[in-house]
Amino acid sequence: MTVIHVPRPDVKSAMDSDRPVNTLLKAQIQHLRDAERNLPLRHRTDIYVNAIKTEGEAAEYIRQVTEAIREAHEAAAAKRGRGIAIAAAAADRPRRKGASASGEKKKSTVKRGRKT
Amino acid sequence: MPTGLDSLKHIVVLMMENRSFDHMLGSLRVVDSRIDGVTDQLSNPDTTGALVKPQPLADFQGQLDPDPDHHFPAVDLQIFGGDTSPSRVANMQGFVKSYFNQERDVGHSQKIMYYFAQNQLPVLTTLALEFAVFNRWFASIPGPTICNRAFAHYGTSFGRVDMNPIYVNEPFKNIYDRLINANPKHTAKLYYYDMTSSTMEVANLLQNEPELFGTYQQFLNDCSTGNLPDYSFIEPNYSDHDSDSGEEVANDQHPDHNVQAGELFIASVYNAIKQNANLWQSTALLVVYDEHGGIYDHVKPPACTPDQFTASANDTGTGQPFAFDRLGVRVPAILISPWIPKGTVVDGRVFDHASIPATITKFFLGDYSPRSPRETSADVFIEPNGPGVDPTRNLLSLAAMRNDCPDFDV
Repeated sequence: MTVIHVPRPDVKSAMDSDRPVNTLLKAQIQHLRDAERNLPLRHRTDIYVNAIKTEGEAAEYIRQVTEAIREAHEAAAAKRGRGIAIAAAAADRPRRKGASASGEKKKSTVKRGRKT
Repeated sequence: MPTGLDSLKHIVVLMMENRSFDHMLGSLRVVDSRIDGVTDQLSNPDTTGALVKPQPLADFQGQLDPDPDHHFPAVDLQIFGGDTSPSRVANMQGFVKSYFNQERDVGHSQKIMYYFAQNQLPVLTTLALEFAVFNRWFASIPGPTICNRAFAHYGTSFGRVDMNPIYVNEPFKNIYDRLINANPKHTAKLYYYDMTSSTMEVANLLQNEPELFGTYQQFLNDCSTGNLPDYSFIEPNYSDHDSDSGEEVANDQHPDHNVQAGELFIASVYNAIKQNANLWQSTALLVVYDEHGGIYDHVKPPACTPDQFTASANDTGTGQPFAFDRLGVRVPAILISPWIPKGTVVDGRVFDHASIPATITKFFLGDYSPRSPRETSADVFIEPNGPGVDPTRNLLSLAAMRNDCPDFDV
């Protein structure tokens, strides 16, 4: 079986995070900026995309927004899961005599007020 | 007796960036004359009128700077040589002129004709010679990345020829949703390199279905644990950046990123599949490039079935509308499987990126609609066995799996 050696590039000369952003990354940033605008405020970055000039700066923005999109979806899924769990727990709880089938509380006839 | 098709359970597509067929594989014509690569008869005029021939002088990095223009108007010039008449015919004579427009430097503009010698690209050229290389795989449109990649995900770019976000509002579903919502359900995943590189499919898939995505490390894990989905699409690293594991060199091969880094990445994907024997015998890997990046290729893009969309004259930037009735420039495409005979050259058949969802759909789902006209008319690179199917179309044709496939030492 033939083994083909694959030369590695010299990382020091190949890597340049100060390289100006290429058109592909500019497009990706634009797409992520549009997506970021749809995120709840707490998930948004504080990066001004018009100031992104280098590949390194682009990479940081791309990372933050990609993570934020995932986190926003995970948060929504968790909330959905809690909602389902609560509904399931309520359905499983044995009903007290006189309790409505819908689980609605009966209006209390006890007057609440401070003890004097 | 089980054949390659009977064994096939997984299809993996790795889509690299912005390099033409002649630029990457053109050197192979002298090795195998069936491969439609570079000859000394080819040329492009520069702006002085001198004819510039392709030469094996491509550098891994630092040469194609600035990034050659590959947007619709520039590609129009590259393909038609500057002829804008209604009766024009493609002549592939405008590449040097197009690159001159960026730096106004005659000497620099000629570098767009450079290609890699075989020994500079040991991974890509080995794969091309060992497995199935496609003589006629074209970008889906004569334009840039986002719309071309859209054809790989949706079978259409929904009438877009630019780099703006494509918000899907047509009934054509992406290939991933088709698979995971099928009955019986199939599995599909897009693997981006890491969150810092992320995906180019932001507007629809990442924004609405981030659960479809995994990282390249997950791909490696899924290969070693035998948990690869039925269909996987891999995106390379689009940027030089720091990560927890150190410096990550961009490996997409988009100019001016280092081409050797991309070679390593392709080898890594290949090795990951091959190192799991069960996976190796049941997987087909397609390595393809999204578009030519403005770099020279000699093959005229053919006409194709029009998509149902039209890009306006304003959108194309050429003053003429575009009916999606002709393909983009040719790109490298190689299909890899131990069931493919060594030295397969796929000729006489035309493919573009719509062939990807067309193939995946046909193989895993059979009939499916609705799909774009371009996808329903696209040729498929893997055809399931069946009555009436021409057996010569089957690229995974060996009766027994090869045991002589190369390994890459990365």
